Amino acid sequence: MPITHEGLAREFEFVSNPGEQKHISESIDGTAPIMQEIAYELIVGNNIDVDRLTVEALAEGFTANQLLDDGLLNGMAIVGVKFRDNLIFVPEVLVAARAMKAGMTHIEPILSASGAEPAGVVIMGTVKGDLHDIGKNLCIMMLRGAGFVVHDIGVDSSPEDFIDAAEEHEAHVVGMSALLTTTMPNMGRTIATFEDMGMRDEVRIMVGGAPVTQDFADEMGADAYGDNAVDAVDKAKELVLLLAELKSS
Amino acid sequence: MSPLVENMTSKERVMAALAGDPVDRPPVCTPTNVATVELMDLVDAPFPDANRDGEMNARLAATAYTELGFDTIAPYFSIIQESSALGCDMQWEQKDNWPTVRMSNPIWKTSSEVTIPSDFLEHKDTRTITDSIRILKQEFGDEVAIVGKTMGPWTLAYHVFGVEPFLLGTVDDPDETMKSLEALKEITILYGKAQIDAGADVLTVPDHATGDLVSSEYYRRFLMELHQEIEEELPVPLMLHICGATIDRMPYIAETGMAAFHFDSKNDPVEAMAAVDGKIRLVGNINNPTTLYARGPKEVRAEVNAALDAGVQLIGPECAIPLKTKLENLLAIPDAIEDWVAERGTN
Repeated sequence: MPITHEGLAREFEFVSNPGEQKHISESIDGTAPIMQEIAYELIVGNNIDVDRLTVEALAEGFTANQLLDDGLLNGMAIVGVKFRDNLIFVPEVLVAARAMKAGMTHIEPILSASGAEPAGVVIMGTVKGDLHDIGKNLCIMMLRGAGFVVHDIGVDSSPEDFIDAAEEHEAHVVGMSALLTTTMPNMGRTIATFEDMGMRDEVRIMVGGAPVTQDFADEMGADAYGDNAVDAVDKAKELVLLLAELKSS
Repeated sequence: MSPLVENMTSKERVMAALAGDPVDRPPVCTPTNVATVELMDLVDAPFPDANRDGEMNARLAATAYTELGFDTIAPYFSIIQESSALGCDMQWEQKDNWPTVRMSNPIWKTSSEVTIPSDFLEHKDTRTITDSIRILKQEFGDEVAIVGKTMGPWTLAYHVFGVEPFLLGTVDDPDETMKSLEALKEITILYGKAQIDAGADVLTVPDHATGDLVSSEYYRRFLMELHQEIEEELPVPLMLHICGATIDRMPYIAETGMAAFHFDSKNDPVEAMAAVDGKIRLVGNINNPTTLYARGPKEVRAEVNAALDAGVQLIGPECAIPLKTKLENLLAIPDAIEDWVAERGTN
């Protein structure tokens, strides 16, 4: 069955990559009209309607997993593509994230109680000396949407903050963000501290932020560089798999 | 090379380049900070104190000319002097990092709250820059272009409202956003005029409506006219500074009437020159984190040459440099320009 919601069908036309078209359409096709409506209202940032529709859907008997997979994540998948392709920018993503949060408020307690296995455990923070958090927050929102358990250690985080959090939560991935060229080197210092503490093999480390590049990430010794919040999710998935392979070999 | 433009002083070179007039060689220009920890040690003027004391500030700022051989002196090292005077929550940091506004604790929520304190220009942190400009003007005013800096309304909005609330507001209530920007523009003009009165020859106007955050349509809708108004109010050449990817908004920026646009290494200089179509001069765009911070003079020279080959009129780092940038990399910028001119002549 094709996408039946008119607005969502229009939004789907922004997905131009054939592989992504196939993946997203397969995920949306056949979903209930209320799920498609939730996906659409999330894309356009209508948090009030997402909140209302989520409550209605739960009352109608839809499960929390259906709401997450068929409603919120389908919407967020299109938001992610539009953001990566510069069709929308941070303000539009922020309103979509606010709408996602409105839905998650109702379904997160149900999902947590179900004890489902997360995609991985991630520590996210902005490095020491840097108070910028918008990029980090977008990554966290996308990672949580993709099923990761994310522990946000906030801004101005020292190497020890990252290490303590990674140890406490038995993290698979540590994500570091920086917006300032003065603070970017603190990514390398944090990675060096993981090495000094003998913890470098325990976690995979990814970095990102507006001035950060793949070259810089390589020089700092990071395992991955996320070009944007969508890319950060893909990299985190790859790193979790890589870590599992390393630990099993 | 025209005999009329031989042996220019640094100041003449910068002012001519900003006016689009012939120059003896393209100037090395610093719309944003080039102070480093090494230079702080050299003149005993470390951060954070050098951001809060006019005399110390001037001593550190002067090194751009005396030690690096750049054609400008830019005493406003950070982006926070006005915000501190407005009452924002500050983190002054240490010698090796810039001071920052704690934007998670914004001071205002609505445009109606925007007020300029009566002692705004007398506040320790705004006065640091005007005091420093007076000192620099007296010591170097005939030789070097003194570049002041006044923050644009968009960047001020990040500081006083917080980035996330401000950007959400642009979607929820764009009219209210415009009211806020209109009110904040008065701070840009007030502080710009104070620096001109103190002796600034040129002003940088940072206003971070970057492609990493917002669309080019946002620039056109919210800022282009405000930037035109700021240009009309401030009677010295202005250099707009926006970090990140900006090619898509350069055609709008070129319509502001400002003298120059300071652009980032995320933008190819050839594409940037095409985007502005001769309507505004370009300053830039040597990469900071990879090239100036982590590579060597050879790579710096390659980027200088690429910018000059593209026709970029004023050469400099793309943005405020990492504070631990090696001096040899900064010194490579004027050297590379001299060699390029010796080989190929001026633009």
